[in-house]
Amino acid sequence: MVVIEEHKHPQHNIKSQKFDNPDKLYLPVSQHTGKPASVCMEKGAEVEEGQLIARQNGYISACIHAPKGSKVTDITPWYHPNFGRMESLVLKCTKESKSYKTRSNVGGLYPEELLDIIQKKGIVGMGGAAFPTHVKLKPPKNIDTLIINGCECEPYLSADYRLMKENLKEICKGVELICRIVKPKKVIFALEDNKSDVAKKINLFSSIKKFNIPGLETTVLKSTYPQGGEKQLIFSTTRRKISGDKLPLDVGCIVQNVATCFAVYEAVYLDKPLIERMVSFCGDALEEPKNIWVRIGTTLQELFEKKILSFAGEPKKIISGGPMMGVTLDCLNYPVLKGTGGFLFLNRDAKNYEEQPCIKCGRCVDVCPMNLMPLMYAKMVKHEEFGRLNEFYIKDCIECGCCAYICPSRIPLVHYVKTGKKYAVADK
Amino acid sequence: MPLQISSSPHLKAKADTPFVMLQVVVALIPATAASIYFFRQRAVFLIAVCISVSLLTEHIIYRIRRKPSTLGDWSAVVTGLLLALTLPPATKWYAAILGTLFAILVGKHLFGGLGTNIFNPALIGRAFLMAAYPKMMTTFTEPFSVDTVTSATPLSLQKFSASLTPLKELFIGNVAGSLGETSALCIIAGGLYLLIRKIADWRIPLSLLGSVIIVSLIAQFLNQANASVLFHLLSGGLLLGTFFMATDPVTTPISQKGRYIFGAGCGVLIMVIRYFSGLPEGVMYSILFFNSLTPLINRYTPRHPFGR
Ligand code: SF4
Ligand code: SF4
Repeated sequence: MVVIEEHKHPQHNIKSQKFDNPDKLYLPVSQHTGKPASVCMEKGAEVEEGQLIARQNGYISACIHAPKGSKVTDITPWYHPNFGRMESLVLKCTKESKSYKTRSNVGGLYPEELLDIIQKKGIVGMGGAAFPTHVKLKPPKNIDTLIINGCECEPYLSADYRLMKENLKEICKGVELICRIVKPKKVIFALEDNKSDVAKKINLFSSIKKFNIPGLETTVLKSTYPQGGEKQLIFSTTRRKISGDKLPLDVGCIVQNVATCFAVYEAVYLDKPLIERMVSFCGDALEEPKNIWVRIGTTLQELFEKKILSFAGEPKKIISGGPMMGVTLDCLNYPVLKGTGGFLFLNRDAKNYEEQPCIKCGRCVDVCPMNLMPLMYAKMVKHEEFGRLNEFYIKDCIECGCCAYICPSRIPLVHYVKTGKKYAVADK
Repeated sequence: MPLQISSSPHLKAKADTPFVMLQVVVALIPATAASIYFFRQRAVFLIAVCISVSLLTEHIIYRIRRKPSTLGDWSAVVTGLLLALTLPPATKWYAAILGTLFAILVGKHLFGGLGTNIFNPALIGRAFLMAAYPKMMTTFTEPFSVDTVTSATPLSLQKFSASLTPLKELFIGNVAGSLGETSALCIIAGGLYLLIRKIADWRIPLSLLGSVIIVSLIAQFLNQANASVLFHLLSGGLLLGTFFMATDPVTTPISQKGRYIFGAGCGVLIMVIRYFSGLPEGVMYSILFFNSLTPLINRYTPRHPFGR
């Protein structure tokens, strides 16, 4: 674990904005972990806001909906931060935004019906991995603890914090619904100590029993990175350890990100699919870093064209995600996806580092939250000794980046890990 | 708009290798100043010779190996300075040059350069001089009286003529000894700086000094005539070795467990040499010996993966 300068100021104190009239939207069929969705619209079709445009395909997969009333103008490969190019639906927006009415019979819904809604509305984990939520909420094992992740440990990003500041009640209603599905004995709301104002509010809710959440408590953790990683978070809050080959449900836990809870609330109460999310736009290459509600599929290009964002000088590096785990982009054509928490635009803070020889200082080993030996991966990959990678549990690596952050020799350890993982898999 | 493409993470800690090495040089300033205060022009001369030969050798090697020069990483300065500080004040100029050459060529580059050497280069240089010029390397002079009166170090006095140097003099450094090893005060100041800035890991100094304390306590308990714990801590090359050589990242174990083993083992071996061998001091040999054991220690002390 490492302590990193937060860079969250000032955007985390500024109220979020909304941008809901894009001209064009680009929706890749894979915005989630698992199989890509299968397109169920023809080119030229007219669709309403919230209408299904790509169907869940297989068990671990998720539906995709039209974020605006629009016309499907094309189905073509388009920019995707993780896959380079990916088949995408191109929508030309034609209609005004829809308004949503509250569903009246929420209290009467059975857990199965709630799960069904979550599945049909295409909800996925919004903390980054984008794992389909309906799968996560149907664990094959007994769950006693539900952990709500409000840590947002990546520097710069503050979308989750803004969401908790502005929509805490809705988040709690979402948590209520999740509790009805998984029936935990205990719910832990985990926050970092830079968000203790939120913790106070939740404690207040909990003391007056405002929500029907069993055993609700807050845990305020130290602001270290990667405090919000599933395994680290479960250990910090419950002292249960999960090895690299196990899942949270193996120790009776489920972790849900706050934005996902909010999406569950919207899906159930408003009948609204996951078509919009709060995204952090930050970094020193932006005139004014801020958090914006945007429709899924909106491209960066459009946000700049419409003057929602503006550059302060030429950006040197654009990153989808946070600075520790995000991926660099080569242009502005990339769209916001369901799992996108933020974009980072770096100018002065984008530096090129030259790799130096490893001085065996062990700093990477000291900081690795999975207790691994990252320097070994770099050495083995360089010497092509792929067979030994598994001996050092390379697959346990969560690619958090702590090791490469701290390495005084600037060795791109995560890069070596990623390469190593490919060969280690091929080896087995 | 040309954009950089790179692997995550996109933030890096400020401390890089040159910074780390520079901090070691900074931490050596008090000890260097003390050596110049006590041994005057001899200290200035030897330090200048060692550092410049070290830099020059390194530069030429990088030229020959056609690798980008890493002179800017300060590691050659650290090696040169450390070697100089372990030399007796009366060391001849040719010996200083040969020792430095040996340290850089054999100690560092024969093993592949920065990061791949097994032994601490400065200590290799010193070990070479010990073998080549045993007389010169064990002839010490009193502070302020260079080139004239030879004198025994506190450790030899204690060992061979059972006379104890006052602790205060040991602490300040006003005793015969190697250039930068005499002033405990200045070395500790620099050492603490390294630990506080987290440049060096505290585990090795703690376990090393801890085991020295324990062994000397036991020795004193068994035989009242043995020198005190404080005497052992403050004399010889122990402190300089502990803070600046046993903490060298390259030649010491990677994991925290391994570092405890390294430190404790070194401490015990130093005391064994001081008590049972024909030599007054054993810091250099102990550290070198454990340098050679480091790969083995690394193999048996891997970090245990989380949750497994
Ligand atoms: S932090 Fe970097 S230099 Fe230090 S041991 Fe790890 S890889 Fe080597
Ligand atoms: S080895 Fe993997 S888990 Fe460990 S610090 Fe590096 S990226 Fe994180």
